[in-house]
Amino acid sequence: MKMTTRVAYDNMKYYKSRNILTGIAIILTTMLLLVIPTVGRGMVDLQFAATNKVYPSWHALYRGVDEETVRKLAAHHDVAKYGLRSDAGYMSLGEARAAMMFVDQPGMELYRLELSEGRLPEREDEIVVSAGILKELGQPGGIGDTVTVPCQIFRNGELDLTEEKEFQICGLMEDSDSSRKERVYTALVSEAFLKKEIPAEEISYRFLFQILDEEKVTTLDIEDMIREIAKQFQIPENDININTEYLAANYVDPVMIPAIVVIMLIIVLAGVITIYSIYYVSMNQRIQEFGRLKAIGATKRQIRQIVLREGLWVAAAAIPAGLLTGTLVSKVVVLLFVRVNEDRGGFMEVVGQVARSGEVSFYYWWAYVLAVAVTLCTVYLSLLSPMHKAAKVSEVEAMRGQEMGKKTRSSRKGYEFITIGRLTCRNLMDHKKKSAVTILAMAVTGVFLMVVATVLSCADPGESADSSLVGQYEISPVIEENNREHPERKWTEIQKDNPLNEALKQQIEGLPGVERVDAFTSIRVTGDLFMEGDFTAINGIPEEYAKELEKGIVEGKVTYEELKSGDKIILEQAMQHWYPQLDVGSKLKLVVHDGDRKFEKDVEIAAIGNYRSGLVNYDYFIMAKEAADRLSEYHSESYFHVIADQDYDQTLFESLEQIVKESGRLQMRTWKEEYDTWSMGMAMTSGAAYAFLGILALISVMNLINTMINSVHVRKKELGMMQAIGMSDSQLMKMLRMEGLFYTAGTLLISVGLGSLAGYPVFLYAKATKIFEINSYHYPAKAAVIMAAALLLIQLLLAVGIGKSVQKDSLIERVRFSE
Amino acid sequence: MNKDSSKILVVEDLVKYYGAGENLVRAVDHTNLEIERGKFTAVVGRSGSGKSTLLHLIGGLDRPDEGKVWIEGKDIFALKDERLAEFRRKKIGFVFQDFNLIPSLNVWENIVLPLGLGGRKVKREDVEEVLEKIGLMDKKETMPNALSGGQKQRTAIARALVTRPAIILADEPTGNLDSQTELEVMSLLKSCVADMGQTLVMITHDEMIAQMADRMVEIEDGKVVNY
Repeated sequence: MKMTTRVAYDNMKYYKSRNILTGIAIILTTMLLLVIPTVGRGMVDLQFAATNKVYPSWHALYRGVDEETVRKLAAHHDVAKYGLRSDAGYMSLGEARAAMMFVDQPGMELYRLELSEGRLPEREDEIVVSAGILKELGQPGGIGDTVTVPCQIFRNGELDLTEEKEFQICGLMEDSDSSRKERVYTALVSEAFLKKEIPAEEISYRFLFQILDEEKVTTLDIEDMIREIAKQFQIPENDININTEYLAANYVDPVMIPAIVVIMLIIVLAGVITIYSIYYVSMNQRIQEFGRLKAIGATKRQIRQIVLREGLWVAAAAIPAGLLTGTLVSKVVVLLFVRVNEDRGGFMEVVGQVARSGEVSFYYWWAYVLAVAVTLCTVYLSLLSPMHKAAKVSEVEAMRGQEMGKKTRSSRKGYEFITIGRLTCRNLMDHKKKSAVTILAMAVTGVFLMVVATVLSCADPGESADSSLVGQYEISPVIEENNREHPERKWTEIQKDNPLNEALKQQIEGLPGVERVDAFTSIRVTGDLFMEGDFTAINGIPEEYAKELEKGIVEGKVTYEELKSGDKIILEQAMQHWYPQLDVGSKLKLVVHDGDRKFEKDVEIAAIGNYRSGLVNYDYFIMAKEAADRLSEYHSESYFHVIADQDYDQTLFESLEQIVKESGRLQMRTWKEEYDTWSMGMAMTSGAAYAFLGILALISVMNLINTMINSVHVRKKELGMMQAIGMSDSQLMKMLRMEGLFYTAGTLLISVGLGSLAGYPVFLYAKATKIFEINSYHYPAKAAVIMAAALLLIQLLLAVGIGKSVQKDSLIERVRFSE
Repeated sequence: MNKDSSKILVVEDLVKYYGAGENLVRAVDHTNLEIERGKFTAVVGRSGSGKSTLLHLIGGLDRPDEGKVWIEGKDIFALKDERLAEFRRKKIGFVFQDFNLIPSLNVWENIVLPLGLGGRKVKREDVEEVLEKIGLMDKKETMPNALSGGQKQRTAIARALVTRPAIILADEPTGNLDSQTELEVMSLLKSCVADMGQTLVMITHDEMIAQMADRMVEIEDGKVVNY
């Protein structure tokens, strides 16, 4: 073994306690560096494996494609495989629904559809059905049997009136669990049936396809290619449906990599600061050792090598332990996530099945290589400065035992009398730089923790629910365009006979627990600015929300009174993202669609506002309700927001549910459902974020432990001396506690102070970008208290532990102690 | 409780062994000693004879395997650690060979440290009197690293004297000093103790220093062989 390696190895063993702490910091760093990409990739793989089981395998489909374009598209050089689907209509099955569609054999494959028995229909009177459809039809049957099907066929771009057709069953399909649960089924008919029932010029296909070169490209490349092909054939954007779930499951998402890189950089930063600080604090204690080595002829390079190799020896021992812990933690985290979410059913149930089946391994060789490489880089970066310092030690300085680079004062005004507090203060002041490095190293994690805690504490499920829903219950009409069977569901028809009427309002207001019902109006508009056929709406907001409207204005100025004129509107800020040319003062010519009539309306954008989604319902133009009402001859109420005296009341919920059910034309969302959804999502996010931050905090606590152990170790003789001249054990403990308290107080002061300041702009960003529907600022008091309590506890335990370890040596051993 | 109040220090059948079996070291082996108030006693002996161990036991820095030590009529090993520390603070002053000053405190602070640990008020004039005596009045704000060996030891002597202890225990206080300084420090120590009427027990292997004492005690293989 080379001399430097040998010395480094012996040093590693000699400075055991310091190296154990460095080792723990390296283990935790390696663990996080392995867990983050492994869990990230594991979750994604799991989801993707489940996606591949559930979602179809086409990359995209183009809607409304005629036969001629199908032929041209099929010949396109970038199209690898294609299939066809065309919807013929729906079976009329009461509350159940069964789509009747033609799908060719490649289409079946791209949809992952399989027949359990028989073959695809060829003749116009052949059909493939499922057990669920037969049950809904009330006609038992098998292959070769005839069934009579009441159905509505698509003609003239809408569903025609119900007619009865006879089919012979040529194949059977299985129903999925969700099909059975939702009572939504699929039946397959032949192309011949399609051509017989629907005029040739009205038949439009869905062209499902996969593109070539899929191995090499990212999701963005594929999406670009899909849009490019669409452009070549003049297929409008609205008619492109990209199978994002399948693409994400099978190709690299370019957004995922930077996210993981950022998290890993944070870990590296915490690791570097901690390991550097541990070495910095202990290095002063070792100047004599390096000075002696220099005196006997060691070169600067050799000294640097000794420091580096000592660190690498520790890393060599710690990294495998970190990888092992990381492997276990990754698996536990993924399985825990799956177990918690499985109750949500649906897709998550499939994810659970995939996780248990072992189809996804959760072990990625590249994650191990990455973790080892990044940890080694972390250790190297942390050691750069200590290496440099050790090499710089002068022989004379070292022999005198002076701290590196420290200017010693020859005299100082002192206290007239000494107390334990002043003694502590003197010691800390004497090692200002060491104390500062320790505090700053811990405070970096503390500040980060406070910033994340600010975002999480602002993400209050109650507030998010408030944000996404006005009041406690939201009742709205069921709107369905293009269904001839239910023409009353068209918005223009609803306006003429709106179930959200005065009688309903009074009925709801009469229910116990209801304070009031606020009606919101929606006026449909189109404009030159928007894509042809693209509707947007003017949201008529009642006067009760005047203050909220005025408060939400971020640019320009308008009062609710002015909005009553109907000539001025507020533009929701999100609209600017899509239409950046819109600004305060812009004048718009809108076409109002009211019932069967259309007319132009000029409006001016008086202000731009940022509002909760519950208030504006994703409509971009805001007007006073009475002004919006004047634009309509009909009843254009789109929402009844029920304001109740309690967030959730089972009796009231049941009464409202009864009203909705009896009407058959209404639907309801509740505050409670929103709250539950947000609660669950946030619990998961907070859990993961705090677990991650907890481990980061643990890494930096290693630093505190090192500083305190080191401070006591270096002063072992001094402390023994103080005890010899009369310092009692309790006074010693008090002094150690006070030193620890100083580090804790310093760390807390910077973490909480700076963290709180830095948290606010992050909150503003989260609010602007509507992360977690964050709306109002909440100081993360709980996180600050928990952090303070945890730090105090750790520091007190440390003081006790270190005090006890000091007392393990007899007083006389301590007095005699010499490095 | 009271052993013999005319004697400031009584050591009774004191035993302290280290190691076991073949490696057993009888550092102090059934030793008896009595020292009178106000006297200067030198404890001499060869290296490894057990004199330092005896001094540490007398000062309550270590606990014996057997035997008792009475200081001003108090059995010090009957005291629990916390009370023993308090007793040391009030009744015993230590002067060590390698000074053992606290590097972060200046001369004044080092001297008043035992008073502070005892929560006692500092009488400025008393401390200044001690500083005058040791000749470091002009160095009271100086840090230990800027003092010479002799000045460091004089500070250590002042620290031992300031609480007006019943007995001062000195462990080779001149061992790290040159012969000129050695003499100065010894004269100072002896005169201070005499002025304040205190008892001094000092370990030395220097015959000349020992001659300055009122009485000489010789230790050999952990036993008092001559006094």
